[in-house]
Amino acid sequence: MNATGIPLKEPEVSAVAGDTEQLERAYIDASTRVPVLMFYTSSIAWLILGTLLAGFVSWKLHSPDLLSDISFLTWGRVRPAHMNVMVYGWASMAGMGTAIWLMARLCRTVLRYPLLLVAGACFWNLGVLLGVGGILLGDSTGYQWLEFPGYAAIILFVAYTLVASWAVLMFRYRRGDQIYITQWYLLGAFLWFPWLYSAGQLMLFVVPVQGVLQSAVGWWYANNLLFLWFGAIALGTAYYMIPKVIGRPVYSYHLATIGFWSYALFSSWTGMQRLVDGPFPAWMITASIAATILTMIPVATVGLNHHMTMQGYFPLMRYSPTLRFTVFGAMSYTVFSVIGVLISLRSVARYVNFTQASIAYSHLGLYAFFTMVIFGSMYYIVPRLIGREWRYASLIKLHFWASAYGIGLMTLMLLAGGFLQGVDMQNPTLAFSESIETTLPYLRGRSLAGILLTASHFIFAYHFGLMLLGLGRTSTVPTFLNPVEAEASGGH
Amino acid sequence: MKGLAPLFLGIFGTFAFSWVGLTVIPNWQIGHLNPQSDEEGTDIYPQPQSGMFERGARVYAANGCIYCHSQQVRADYAAADIERKWGNRRSAPRDYIFEQPVFLGKMRMGQDIANIGARAPAEQASPAPAGAAAPAASPSGGTSPAASPAPQGAAVSSPPPPANSPATAPATSPASPAPKTPTSPAPAAAPASPSPAAATAANASPNASPTSAAGAPWPVQTAGEPPMYSAAWHHVHLYSPRSINGDSNMPSYRFLYEKRRIRDARSADALQLTGSDAPPEGWEVVPSFDAKCLVAYLMALNQSHPLNDVRLVGGAPAAPVPAAGSPAPASPAPPK
Repeated sequence: MNATGIPLKEPEVSAVAGDTEQLERAYIDASTRVPVLMFYTSSIAWLILGTLLAGFVSWKLHSPDLLSDISFLTWGRVRPAHMNVMVYGWASMAGMGTAIWLMARLCRTVLRYPLLLVAGACFWNLGVLLGVGGILLGDSTGYQWLEFPGYAAIILFVAYTLVASWAVLMFRYRRGDQIYITQWYLLGAFLWFPWLYSAGQLMLFVVPVQGVLQSAVGWWYANNLLFLWFGAIALGTAYYMIPKVIGRPVYSYHLATIGFWSYALFSSWTGMQRLVDGPFPAWMITASIAATILTMIPVATVGLNHHMTMQGYFPLMRYSPTLRFTVFGAMSYTVFSVIGVLISLRSVARYVNFTQASIAYSHLGLYAFFTMVIFGSMYYIVPRLIGREWRYASLIKLHFWASAYGIGLMTLMLLAGGFLQGVDMQNPTLAFSESIETTLPYLRGRSLAGILLTASHFIFAYHFGLMLLGLGRTSTVPTFLNPVEAEASGGH
Repeated sequence: MKGLAPLFLGIFGTFAFSWVGLTVIPNWQIGHLNPQSDEEGTDIYPQPQSGMFERGARVYAANGCIYCHSQQVRADYAAADIERKWGNRRSAPRDYIFEQPVFLGKMRMGQDIANIGARAPAEQASPAPAGAAAPAASPSGGTSPAASPAPQGAAVSSPPPPANSPATAPATSPASPAPKTPTSPAPAAAPASPSPAAATAANASPNASPTSAAGAPWPVQTAGEPPMYSAAWHHVHLYSPRSINGDSNMPSYRFLYEKRRIRDARSADALQLTGSDAPPEGWEVVPSFDAKCLVAYLMALNQSHPLNDVRLVGGAPAAPVPAAGSPAPASPAPPK
């Protein structure tokens, strides 16, 4: 033990677990290897593509003539392509990969029916590919996050059904009565997604609702996807990774219960606050604003729970990549929610509605919160699938700092630029174009942040590629960010 | 937590609660709106749109216009939208009942265009329902029966009847009578803009002119270009946004246009391009059918018709007439 009394060994080893239990875990991990790696590999490929598209989008915003004569590279097509690649290609696939691994671990049974998952991954990739191709060729439907044309949406849904039915089957084979917190969130995510997706598709395309209700359904879908699908996966993952890495149980089970149910109840009612002052009955918007404010309850309980669990163990973030990414993500959840509340208040929304600030909000949720947690889980899971440890601590550090600074800078730029844009827009004595001029420096700053993020993603993809090729370290000790031996050698 | 059943029920319950609350109940409340009309059953607003409008909406979706342009005017107490002349009243659910998909939008990297059709020079302003290119399809010109039912919608394609009155359009724009002078032989004026003809019609209707003349609630620009927000203007703007506004950061949509050699005579709908955008001698730039549909769609975006659900902005500072800018409420319906 080192001076702070922190267990710096591989937590699983330090856990009071018999050899059989360890063997069992290794056995379960091995059984998840092929499907999870399939999901991870595809998601990282999509991440790289989405990053390149993002750079293009960001750059074109202040240099509009860049390659604008080519129909499939016009800004208005590349932007939804970027969003959908990130949402369905990267985030959904990476989230499902992590969720599958967690499910197998927490059901304490070897992964059964791997073919369902393999087929699911293939179909999902096909769906995203067709969808993005369709958008670039001009088949976009025009609804935020539901731009995929019908033929792609169907394939996605089939793929999803395969994965979800696997999840249900796994639940039937689970051992033990106790359902851990993570499983609540994962089961929720696996059930919410198909309901959301089919409700969105049905009410927009199959039996379309009338007029502005389409926008209401669209934003209801988009916000719920953010909370009930991505948010639920990320929170569930954080509830697993944080206690696991520091080798300490979750602080309070009761807080977790309150957090989960209030999260499910309130966050599902958000969405309409993004249409403040729009052509809707006022109660719809007010209800969503109220729900957004009430999401402070799950934020407070989940945040408190994680904080108390981590209490005294924060120095571990110096060493464990998983912990560092996960805690960053968990903290971002609080920031994301607080900013969500602030920009939904009517008096503020008047200024930030229709500006870049709403882009900042989406990125906070999908990147600073969700993606960072998922990166953390990948640093934990991939070595257990491959049997090698991450090769370079330096690359992990670079990845973390480039991501953290990148997303921080991007959020600041978009929030500040968006707010100033809104102030200008609300001042009718200024020409409208002034409000755009005002944002341009911030958009350039955002492009800079994008370069950082691009670098971080390429570093991560390279590192992951090394792992796939079996070039990781062979060692029994996980890769720590900073050398542990020097400080901790006295102990064991 | 023990047992799957309570967990499952809770997950399902919270979702169903939100689904019912935010989509089903609103659908019950505002999901089956009908157009409004006055007591005689005329002056119906809004009205179904033409096929070109619908295709234009698909072009709008395909090229992601929604990511920069909103189509919703906020109320005067909430925002400066009305002061910015983006509309004369706030948008209401009823304005959108015939639109599929609806493009409310969430971002304004460009202006709000809920009323871009109403902001065209008076002669071209298509009353809300008039789908372009199908003049016949707009029976009794929805909003302003008196004001020239026929040629209005034809903003894009139909060649106007010979302009017999060079119409000192009492209208606003000095340039309007013949924005296309350079090439076209005299009477076949203005391929893309039926303005002279429409202006005539507008003249003929005493009701229409006052508003269009005095009104000018929308900006009208001069300087050799087609009148602002006319169909011809839209084409030039889509083709080369920075030729009109140097600060614009809108991408150009040249892929919706075709550059071709002039065969016999310059086509009627060729774009009026100047400077570096102008095609070389003997060439012309013409809109594709998609571009025409897109412009027809834009020209038909018009929420200026009064709605009983929503009060017009009476005292908005810059609005000259109480019923500011609504294209000639010809019927005696009181502007409110």
